[in-house]
Amino acid sequence: MTTRKILRIAGTVLLALTSAGARAQPGASAASAALNATAIAASGGTTAKDTRAANRALRRQIYAAIAKHKDISAGDISVVAKGGAVTLNGTVVDASQIDKVAEIAQGVPGVVTVTNKLTVKKPFGGQ
Amino acid sequence: MKLKWSGAAALVVFAGAAHAQSSVTLYGVMDSGLFYQSANAANFQSKVNLGHVYELKDGGIYSSIWGLKGTEDIGGGYKVNFKLQGSFNSSTGKTGLADTPTTTAIFNQQTTVGVSTPYGSVDLGRQIVPMIYAMADTDVRNAQYFGSVLTGWLGLNQAAGWQGTSTNGPVGALYDDNAIVYRSPKFYGASLALEYAPGGVPGQFQGGTRESGVLQYSNYGLNLAAVYYNGHDTNPFTTTASGIVTAPSTGLNNNQFYYLGAQYTTHGFSVSSSYSRARNPANSSSPKGFNLEMFSGGLGYQFNPVFKVTSGFYYLHDRNVGANHSAEYALGGEYNLSKSTLAYAQVGYVDNHGNMSQTISYGAPVPEDRSSTAAMIGIRHSF
Repeated sequence: MTTRKILRIAGTVLLALTSAGARAQPGASAASAALNATAIAASGGTTAKDTRAANRALRRQIYAAIAKHKDISAGDISVVAKGGAVTLNGTVVDASQIDKVAEIAQGVPGVVTVTNKLTVKKPFGGQ
Repeated sequence: MKLKWSGAAALVVFAGAAHAQSSVTLYGVMDSGLFYQSANAANFQSKVNLGHVYELKDGGIYSSIWGLKGTEDIGGGYKVNFKLQGSFNSSTGKTGLADTPTTTAIFNQQTTVGVSTPYGSVDLGRQIVPMIYAMADTDVRNAQYFGSVLTGWLGLNQAAGWQGTSTNGPVGALYDDNAIVYRSPKFYGASLALEYAPGGVPGQFQGGTRESGVLQYSNYGLNLAAVYYNGHDTNPFTTTASGIVTAPSTGLNNNQFYYLGAQYTTHGFSVSSSYSRARNPANSSSPKGFNLEMFSGGLGYQFNPVFKVTSGFYYLHDRNVGANHSAEYALGGEYNLSKSTLAYAQVGYVDNHGNMSQTISYGAPVPEDRSSTAAMIGIRHSF
């Protein structure tokens, strides 16, 4: 009885967490972004807050660019931007989309390098 | 002379047809491995433990399949598509189950013809139901045949009386006969799928019908899915001493299923969670129709482009009888040997209580009311 209750609560929390994940993510990389920012700040540049905001904005722009291609599902793609360095993780449904997504990301203003770790997702049931 | 002309005419006609038919593909997957399970049963509604099993088993990731598919571009963004797909057991060569009990079909998974347009697509015929794709997208274990949201969902079906002799389950089936499915284009990452399957029962408009709606969102590394499924006259089969008896279709609404799921991918990690509810709305008084729920959680990590590990937790619970519950844990590693060949190893544990018989692996029944452990190593090759 109590186990069930705990499970129900845990499930709800997990569901809420995964749903909130999209927003929570930039915060997760805050530590490394802050490191970057310290370096920039030392050279007389922007604050850590500005850097984080810029990384977030670039990430959003890349997702928006991918979303224009209706055949690509960006729900399985992780985009992490640090300065102009972008890392792609996750899966796409077809091998041809691996290079396509990298190409789209590369085309977004502000992107300097793209590290592509995308793989092909197995479709449910086979082909 | 006359013959020659008709021959040439025929040739021209065929040449025209060949030109319009832009592609036909023969494809398939072989998936086979060594399987061990500590406690086994003869069927899904048995408490008798038959003991350990070591076997060569089909379908560690998904079942072995083969099929034919084709697309004809008819211009203006319109395409005509067809797909024929059947599962088979790679250990025995037997073809997969159909909706009629103990009957198999060559193309038991999909026989569809349809049109895709700029405004969405429509497919007609027996097919894999839209909701399982949404469930797979919100399960780190991808609704695979070993320890996933699929085996959990089938566990709900078993608790509701599904005997596994046909693909017509009480809590929504993996395949629906007579289905008409519309899929919308994506709109800012959101998409909609609607299904209606007329039962075709004379004199009973609602007899044997199915309806479902699937709403999905996919962008920013986030997959969201909401599913509603409603079935009439589902699982009408009862096994008796003289054979399987089929209840007549009366249009009784005896299956409702809801599912909410989410999955988030960041860096190499994926995390997923879902809640689902399955009930028989027909019997609200005693004896009550089934009223079941499932919680799932998943966590995975992609170490590099060829190796990933996924894990999942699936908890089933009977809201009518609290003593009926089941918890399953699964862990698997997948290594891509090449673009079309995958090696995998996975382990699972299930703890069933009461009348629960959630399986670890698809098609390998475990006894009700006891725990079981399974492991499988195998290879999957697509062609």
